[in-house]
Amino acid sequence: MKKILGVALGILTAIGGFLDIGDLVTNAVVGSRFGLSLAWVVVVGVVGICLFAQMSGKVAAVSGRATFEIIRERLGARAAGANLGASFLINLLTLTAEVGGIALALQLASSVEPRLWIPVAGLAVWLVIWRTRFSIMENVTGLVGLTLIVFAVALFLLGPDWSTLADQALHPRVSAQEGLASYWYYAIALFGAAMTPYEVFFFSSGAVEERWTIKDLSQSRLNVLVGFPFGGVLSVAIAACAAVVFLPKGVEVSSLSQIVLPVALAGGKLALAVVIVGIVAATFGAALETSLSSGYTLAQFMGWSWGKFRRPARAARFHLTMIICLVVAVGVLMTSVNPIAVTEYSVVFSAVALPLTYLPILVVANDPEYMGEHVNGRLTNAFALVYLVIIVVASVAAIPLMIVTGAGS
Amino acid sequence: MILGDLLDAPVNDASGNRLGYVVDVRLVLDGPLDGLLAAPRLHGLLVSPRTGTSFLGYERSGVEAPALLARYFAWRHRGTFLVHWQDVAEVAPGAVRLVDQFRRFSPALPATGRQAGR
Amino acid sequence: MSDLPQDRRPPGLMLDARLHLLDRQILDVDGTPVCTVDDLELHGLDGSDRPDGTQPTVVTSLLSGAVLTTRIFGGRPPPSRWHRIRWTHVSDVGTTLRLGVRSAELDVTWPERWIRDQIIRRIPGGSHDPG
Repeated sequence: MKKILGVALGILTAIGGFLDIGDLVTNAVVGSRFGLSLAWVVVVGVVGICLFAQMSGKVAAVSGRATFEIIRERLGARAAGANLGASFLINLLTLTAEVGGIALALQLASSVEPRLWIPVAGLAVWLVIWRTRFSIMENVTGLVGLTLIVFAVALFLLGPDWSTLADQALHPRVSAQEGLASYWYYAIALFGAAMTPYEVFFFSSGAVEERWTIKDLSQSRLNVLVGFPFGGVLSVAIAACAAVVFLPKGVEVSSLSQIVLPVALAGGKLALAVVIVGIVAATFGAALETSLSSGYTLAQFMGWSWGKFRRPARAARFHLTMIICLVVAVGVLMTSVNPIAVTEYSVVFSAVALPLTYLPILVVANDPEYMGEHVNGRLTNAFALVYLVIIVVASVAAIPLMIVTGAGS
Repeated sequence: MILGDLLDAPVNDASGNRLGYVVDVRLVLDGPLDGLLAAPRLHGLLVSPRTGTSFLGYERSGVEAPALLARYFAWRHRGTFLVHWQDVAEVAPGAVRLVDQFRRFSPALPATGRQAGR
Repeated sequence: MSDLPQDRRPPGLMLDARLHLLDRQILDVDGTPVCTVDDLELHGLDGSDRPDGTQPTVVTSLLSGAVLTTRIFGGRPPPSRWHRIRWTHVSDVGTTLRLGVRSAELDVTWPERWIRDQIIRRIPGGSHDPG
C-alpha cells in the first residue's frame, strides 16, 4: 500500500510540477493566435523531455554525477565555461520570469501592485530553499500545482466545438494574417517551454540529492513517462481554452489575467480562485527549481560543495550563489519589466541553449566508464539521435526567426 | 613543468618540421609508489595534425555508440598518433621537439576493465 | 589510424590526462566536493623541474585555483594562483578523484570557509540541517 502511495505521489508531483510560467504563457499566447495548430509541438516537446530527463536521471543514478560536472569533464574548461555562461544566464532569465509569475498571480488574487509582491515572493522562495527539505519542497508544490487541472475542466465547461479543435490540431494550417515565420517562431518557443534546460539540471541534481540508485530508476521512469505526458495534456488544455475564447475575436493574450479569463468564464469565482492557487504553486515550484539550478550549475562547474541535503554552512558558496541570483531576479523585476515578456524570451533562449546540455548527456549515457552495463540501448539511441537533430535545428533557427518576426509580434 | 606547458603545444620533428599539436598526454599509474597509489608516469604524448581539444575523447575510448557521433569524432581526429615520452628530445617554451627516429603508435586506449563510477 | 602499430600494454591503469583527469571533480575522504583539477605538476624522477624524454617523469601534484580566466582565454597563470594537492593524498581515480584527507585541511577550500564564516553562518538557520 505504502509503495502504491509512493508511486502515485511521484506521478502526481510530476504532473503538477510539469507546468511553469513558460508553459502557461506560451501555450495561452499560441492558443489565442494559432488555435491548436501547434499542439503537435507539445507532443514533440513532451516526448523529448521524457527522453532527456530519463537519460540524465539514469546517468545521475548510475554514476552519481550531475549534469554540469559531466559537461565540464567532457568539454573542458573553455567550452564548458561558454556553456555555463549561456546556461546560467538563461536560467537566471527563467528564474526572473518565475518570480514575476508568482507576483502577477498574487496580484490577481489581491489587487495589490506586483512590485509589492516581488520582494515578498523572492524572500519566500529563498526561505523555502534555506530551511525546507528537498522532498517536502517537491511534493507540496507538485501536489498543489495539480489544481491547474482546472484548465482541462474549464475547457469542457466552455462547451467548445470539438470538431473544430480537432481539425486545428490534426490539420495544422497557418492563417493568412500570421505568416509562416511567426508560426515556426512560436513552434520553437513551445518546444523551448516544454524542454527547458533547467528541468534537466534540476532533475539530475535532484537524483543525486535524493541519492537515487539503479533500483529507483523504474520509479523515476514511471513518474516521467506518465507524469510528463499528463502535464503535456494540461498544456494543450491551456492552449485550447485560449483558442476557444480568444481566437474567434482575434485577441492576442498578453497578460496573466487573460490567461485565466477562460477559466473564470467557465467556472466563475471558485474556478478562478483554484487556478490562481495553481499558478502560484506552479511558478513557486519552478522558482525553487530554477534558483536551485543556478546553484547547481555554478557549483558543479566550479567543483564546489553543493546540495540541499547539506546544511547551508556545508555548501556555503552554493547557497550564496542562489541568494545573489534571487536578489538579481528581484532587482530586474523591480525595474517594472513585464514578466510576460521576460517569459517569452526565456523560452526561446532555452531552445537556443538546449544542445549545449543535451549532447554531453547523450555522450556520457553511452560511456561504459560512467554507465557500466547501463549504457543506452539501441532504441534509446535511435530516438536520441532524432531529437539531437530536432534540438539543433530549433536552436539554430531560433535567433534568425526571432529577428525576422520581431520576436513574434 | 605543468601539464599546461605541454597541452596544445606545437610538435616538431628533429629537423623542425611541424607534425601537429599535443592534444593530450598519456599517463600510466606505474611510477614509484606515492601515498596509496603509484605516481602517474608520463607515458607519451598524443599528437594530432589539428589543433583544438580532442572533443570528448571519442577517437580513443573505443565507445562506438551512438554510431553516427562516434564516426564523426573519429573522422575529425584522423591522423592522431601517440609518441612515447622517451622520443621527446626537448620541451622548449612554445614547442616540443622529437628525437630523430621517433616512432608513431596508434592513439587508441587499450580496452580496460574500468567500470562505472561510485 | 589503423595502420599505426598498437602500443604495448603497460601493467598500470592508463589515463589520458585531459580525458580522465583535467576538469574532474575532486572529493575528500567524506565525499565532499573539494574542487576540480585545473592542471597537473610534473617532475623528473631526479626532481628536475624541466624534464625531457631522457628521464622518467611523474605527476607530483594536482593543481587547482583561481585560474579559470587563463584556462578559458589561454596563457600561463602566475604560480601564486595555484593550490597544490600532492598526489600522495589521492586515494582513488575513477570518474572522480578521491582524497584521503578532509577538505577543511586543504588550502584550496579557503574561499568556501571564508564565505561560510563571514556570510552563511551569520544568517539564522545557516548552521542547521534543513527541517
